[in-house]
Amino acid sequence: MKGCLGIDVGSVTTKMVVINEENEVIAHNYLRTGGNPVKVVQDGLKDINGKLDRTIAMEAVGTTGSGRYLAATLVGADIVKNEITAHAVAASYFIPQVQTVFEIGGQDSKIIIIREAVVVDFAMNTVCAAGTGSFLDHQAARLNLPIEEFGEYALRARSPVRIAGRCTVFAETDMVHKQQTGHSREDIISGLCQALVRNYLNNVAKGKELLSPFVFQGGVAANRGIKAAFESELEQEVIVPPHYVLMGAIGVAILAREETALRGGKTRFKSFEVAEADYRTSSFQCTDCPNSCEIVQLSLNDEPLARWGSRCRKWEV
Amino acid sequence: MKTRKSAAQPKQCRKASVGIPRSLLYYHYFPLWKSFFEELGLEVVLSSPTNKKILENGTKKAVDDTCLPVKLCFGHVMELADKVDYLFVPRLVSVEEDAFTCPKLIGLPDMIRASLDKLPPLLDTCFDLKSGITPYRSFQELGRKLNRGSRTIRRAFQKAEQRQDDFRKTMERGLTPPEAMEMLDGKSEEPRTKNGELRIALIGHAYNLYDDYINMNLMEKLRQLGSSVITAEMLPSSIIEKEASRWRKEIFWTFGRRMVGAAFHFFNGGEVDGVISCIAFECGPDSLLGVLIEDEAKKHKEIPYMSLILDEHSGETGIVTRVEAFLDMIRRKKK
Repeated sequence: MKGCLGIDVGSVTTKMVVINEENEVIAHNYLRTGGNPVKVVQDGLKDINGKLDRTIAMEAVGTTGSGRYLAATLVGADIVKNEITAHAVAASYFIPQVQTVFEIGGQDSKIIIIREAVVVDFAMNTVCAAGTGSFLDHQAARLNLPIEEFGEYALRARSPVRIAGRCTVFAETDMVHKQQTGHSREDIISGLCQALVRNYLNNVAKGKELLSPFVFQGGVAANRGIKAAFESELEQEVIVPPHYVLMGAIGVAILAREETALRGGKTRFKSFEVAEADYRTSSFQCTDCPNSCEIVQLSLNDEPLARWGSRCRKWEV
Repeated sequence: MKTRKSAAQPKQCRKASVGIPRSLLYYHYFPLWKSFFEELGLEVVLSSPTNKKILENGTKKAVDDTCLPVKLCFGHVMELADKVDYLFVPRLVSVEEDAFTCPKLIGLPDMIRASLDKLPPLLDTCFDLKSGITPYRSFQELGRKLNRGSRTIRRAFQKAEQRQDDFRKTMERGLTPPEAMEMLDGKSEEPRTKNGELRIALIGHAYNLYDDYINMNLMEKLRQLGSSVITAEMLPSSIIEKEASRWRKEIFWTFGRRMVGAAFHFFNGGEVDGVISCIAFECGPDSLLGVLIEDEAKKHKEIPYMSLILDEHSGETGIVTRVEAFLDMIRRKKK
């Protein structure tokens, strides 16, 4: 049997999937990136390998997410794709009629407008990260709640409070104020979910033509309070696909298979032994010009494999 | 006033030098300025391409409320300050009879004087066509500040205008301002032909589009990813004027009008696969004109449109992801 590996190295979490020839997920994992993408990719590979049947051979590998270039060098990827394309491919695979995709991750949020299975427009949050997973994480920690329960609290609200969602700093001030005047946690959390959705629709989705079916994916889709807030704001059903958190990884796995087939079927995947190899990253500041670029180097057994970060590209391996 | 009205002759026999910041309207007028000063016997010193130090210096010294391109200009001025005898920071109020440049450009020499110390004499000649001051008159005034006679100045002005005309014509062959300048200087022989598989139009102020540092090599990236790039500077001004006049009101910012005119052209039979606008976060005029461009984009759904916002905190990743996704979208759509 053949499988395709998709790796989505996000700012907060890293997702990996292996799909079979029918695009069914046969193994997956979901790990915190924890500031160390090299280690998390290695750990993830080890874990996936343990979950896979020995008879499965990897026919293609793709990487996406903000750490996609690093991960691609590490594993030997057939394709490196941006998150927009990867998410759109997965969404239209699972919900072929989809016209609007909301994707909210740890550090960014996107909207993708699809017509007849083709992306026609998209936007990502600009300048500020208000309304992303990190903010919810932070608020959950402040209210002393596990993030997993956040959504349930929102659903139990009786009369959600109105919270200014334009900026996370002000939203927090507003929440603290509401909390100190005696509003219940449920009402505050529900109000926060609504504020986040309002902010998303007014900023990221501003001026876009929002048509159903709506698909909501990315880590924040786990939060049922946000889903409910989207539905009440749009007055329409919002679909959260079963693999909502893995969509980027699934999308890039599908794309990797297409790409490899186009190139004659041979994958560049190095093998799962990558997980055991001595990969290291190091960084230094180049002092050859006033740009003072910060160069990051990935090396294997002290041999440099790749370098990133120089504007003039002189450091590229 | 720190500027000497009538500057003394330069020390010794060395040619006096005039520094020109590689920022703002440099991208529109450098060949004109350079040629004029050289004809008057001055040495022209240009600041380096924008780098981290220039950006840091500029953001440190310029007033917080101004835009990124003006902050960058401060950085460029600071780099030149102790290297030249004069600094050329003209007050460009109006370069067309019916339009202004931009409030920040109009106040630029004052902002620089107010915030920076130890500057060489500032040549801040006023160019104000709207008030009936012809460029010739402004250049006469500029030349007199440098103690040149009116005939010398006239000759220099004529040569400079000729040079500027060559520059414009070179760009209309599909070259960016920096490429056209290189060509005119004989540094590159033939314009590199860039026939990408896609044709992408870039809309934005020249100082955002051609400053590779601040736009994270946007143009180069688009080319690497297989597209040729076309900008307003490559269009004859007749097209731009015609298109811009379709808007029901007169747009009274010269560069804004050029952007809108170019955008209208690209959306209406400009033969492009996509349009990207690139604006500076704090730009007032852009925030208004951006809406006009967006509205036009909505009327032409068959031509994908995206806007990129630049500020001093922009990370490269954000730009790369958006550009890659934009080109992917166009390619998959074409299939």
